[in-house]
Amino acid sequence: MKSPTEIILKQVKVIDPNSAYHNKKVDILVDNGVIKKISNKINPAKDQKLIEIDKSFVCPGLMDMSVDFQEPGNEQKETINSGVKAAAAGGFTAVVLQPTLEPSRDKLSDIVYCKEKKHQYPVDIFPIGAISKNNNGEELAEMYDMHSAGAIAFSDYKKPIHKSGLLSRALLYVKNFNGLIISHPYDDSICTDGQMHEGVTSTSMGLPGIPSLAEELYINRDIALTNYNESKIHFNIISSKESVQKIADSKNDKINLSCGTSIYHLIFNDEDLKGFNSNFKMIPPLRTKEDQFALITGIKEGVIDVITSNHQPHENEIREVEFPLSPFGCIGTQIAFPMALTYLKDELDLETIVKCMSINPRSILQTDIPVIEEGFMANLTVFDTHTNWEFNKENNFSLSENSPLLNTKLTGKVHGTILGNMSNFST
Amino acid sequence: MNDLSVKHLLSINDLNESDIDTIFKTADSFKEIINRPIKKVPTLRDITIANLFFENSTRTKLSFELAEKRLSADILNFSASSSSVKKGETLVDTANNILSMKVDLIVMRHPNPGAANYLAENTNTCVINAGDGTNEHPTQALLDCYSIKERHGSLKDLKVVIIGDIKHSRVALSNIYALKKLGAKVMVCGPTTLIPKFIHKLGVDVEHDLLKALQWCDVANMLRIQLERQDIQYFPSIREYVKQFGLNHEVISSLNKKITILHPGPINRGVEITSEVADSPNSIILDQVENGVAIRMAIIYLLAGKLNRA
Repeated sequence: MKSPTEIILKQVKVIDPNSAYHNKKVDILVDNGVIKKISNKINPAKDQKLIEIDKSFVCPGLMDMSVDFQEPGNEQKETINSGVKAAAAGGFTAVVLQPTLEPSRDKLSDIVYCKEKKHQYPVDIFPIGAISKNNNGEELAEMYDMHSAGAIAFSDYKKPIHKSGLLSRALLYVKNFNGLIISHPYDDSICTDGQMHEGVTSTSMGLPGIPSLAEELYINRDIALTNYNESKIHFNIISSKESVQKIADSKNDKINLSCGTSIYHLIFNDEDLKGFNSNFKMIPPLRTKEDQFALITGIKEGVIDVITSNHQPHENEIREVEFPLSPFGCIGTQIAFPMALTYLKDELDLETIVKCMSINPRSILQTDIPVIEEGFMANLTVFDTHTNWEFNKENNFSLSENSPLLNTKLTGKVHGTILGNMSNFST
Repeated sequence: MNDLSVKHLLSINDLNESDIDTIFKTADSFKEIINRPIKKVPTLRDITIANLFFENSTRTKLSFELAEKRLSADILNFSASSSSVKKGETLVDTANNILSMKVDLIVMRHPNPGAANYLAENTNTCVINAGDGTNEHPTQALLDCYSIKERHGSLKDLKVVIIGDIKHSRVALSNIYALKKLGAKVMVCGPTTLIPKFIHKLGVDVEHDLLKALQWCDVANMLRIQLERQDIQYFPSIREYVKQFGLNHEVISSLNKKITILHPGPINRGVEITSEVADSPNSIILDQVENGVAIRMAIIYLLAGKLNRA
């Protein structure tokens, strides 16, 4: 939505480690999309929109580094417009679109389609292009062409690249234009019919498991290839304790890599699937409590850089089936940040959450990092940490409802976002 | 008294020890009845039961059907291959269509783990799990335990080994849960590729040497090798399997004790067990079949008693 020309945020506490106002409570005047003034008190003038929320915070606009809006191809699950609306409500001013697989997003025109998609929300769209043509894992796609059109990075997403040679060439090829390969490490050949994390819970439910090894094998391989080619790589979501350790070691060895995890992996574990709850079925799978704690520690220690929603919408019709037939993934872009505020408040401070959901993703993707200081373009998220609200069918903006947290009470609410001349305030 | 703590029979884990005791005691009465000249009771005269079999079954289906008939229930039989259902109607739609015909209770066999839980959650009926993929087969475990108890008096501290394809076996999983609840010591034995990596965490011992397992045990439950489900190769050939895990007379007679032998059927004679052993006095395979009817009568009877019928 187009903003009023001038907006004043009253008495917001700034959470922005790059700003001199970090941890300070201030008034902020946004004029024509730019932060014009920050001070202890700004007297509002006529025609200025006043945003005044009790005990509120402001941080650099959040970026969701992994969403799967399935347009074109599966618009019944999510369109770019509906996805962006949900993301905006969730406090995101930028989303990174994982590539659609049907059709494959493997050429310039596909990137242009995403970049030029019109929508009315204060959200930047950053599409990822395919590494291989038609995601076939055989031939390189035209990555330079896609890069020129605005592809932010490259990935074959849910289709693991089994040919090490292809991945090796991709890592080498993108160096030419400082491109980034994003890996979804999952060697599905060792668990072709896997349904959930392989462990005592999967065994007790008689479900075929997906061992952590499926992830670790490819993390080890991909790091070796990155090191050999002196390139860089980002792991979209890591899920196991061993993966955290391997990434930590490799970062110590000065290999150029980064990684993320999903908000779900930080809050839930495989025991949440007991009773065959398919809303928790995802790839990588929710692993054990021990893994969950290792991921949280990984965030605290800076080994894990990014927290994503891993938003994967599915229409009800294909979900109303028995566990093994139901698809992997759940929605999350609208609640990822409130989930962090609700469930991780004892584990992570606001600064860490903001780093993982705003600053680090942009730094990895080499896009401008918003700073809350005078003269910078306004790109910010306003929220509080105390409002109780329920996420339910009525306020869910995604076209899909596959969320394990539907009808769940959350504590901490996003009140709105500003991105340049666009804003989105519920109050 | 004489009441179960559950509304459905989905998993052995849902039952407590007293539930199992109630089922066994009820089965005692029904076993006596089915050995009378007139084998039928009018108890469930006004109850309609649908047997939904989405996967092939001969023995379990016949056993349930007979149990239902002995209780004078009306029966609706539905068989479908999972693939034809998968292409069209969903499980819940199929079940609700059948329930609209005023069915009181559903007995279901399904290829997908969790299917029985899913049906119980999404339909308004009582569900008896007659096997859901690689998850559970609770009535089989109950009849196995009942048969063992009949022979040995009690399961407390009895050593039971389950032999064969543990990885894909719902019988194994349900048996592990039931046996442990009743105080037995459980071991699983089979090729390394057919034993789940984390099975020991369910509190069972793992052994890959058949002779050692037999020397340890009082009871051996031989699982069927699913010849029809070898899409992924877990062992090189049946011949090699038989050499390592086939139960034959030589192995049995090398033990200096008598062990009780069970098999959930159908038997691959000459694969997991030779005819000589299957038909020997050690074997209680046919008792299992007879007890199966009594156990299923007991379960249906007890659950039907919990139906909320206007």
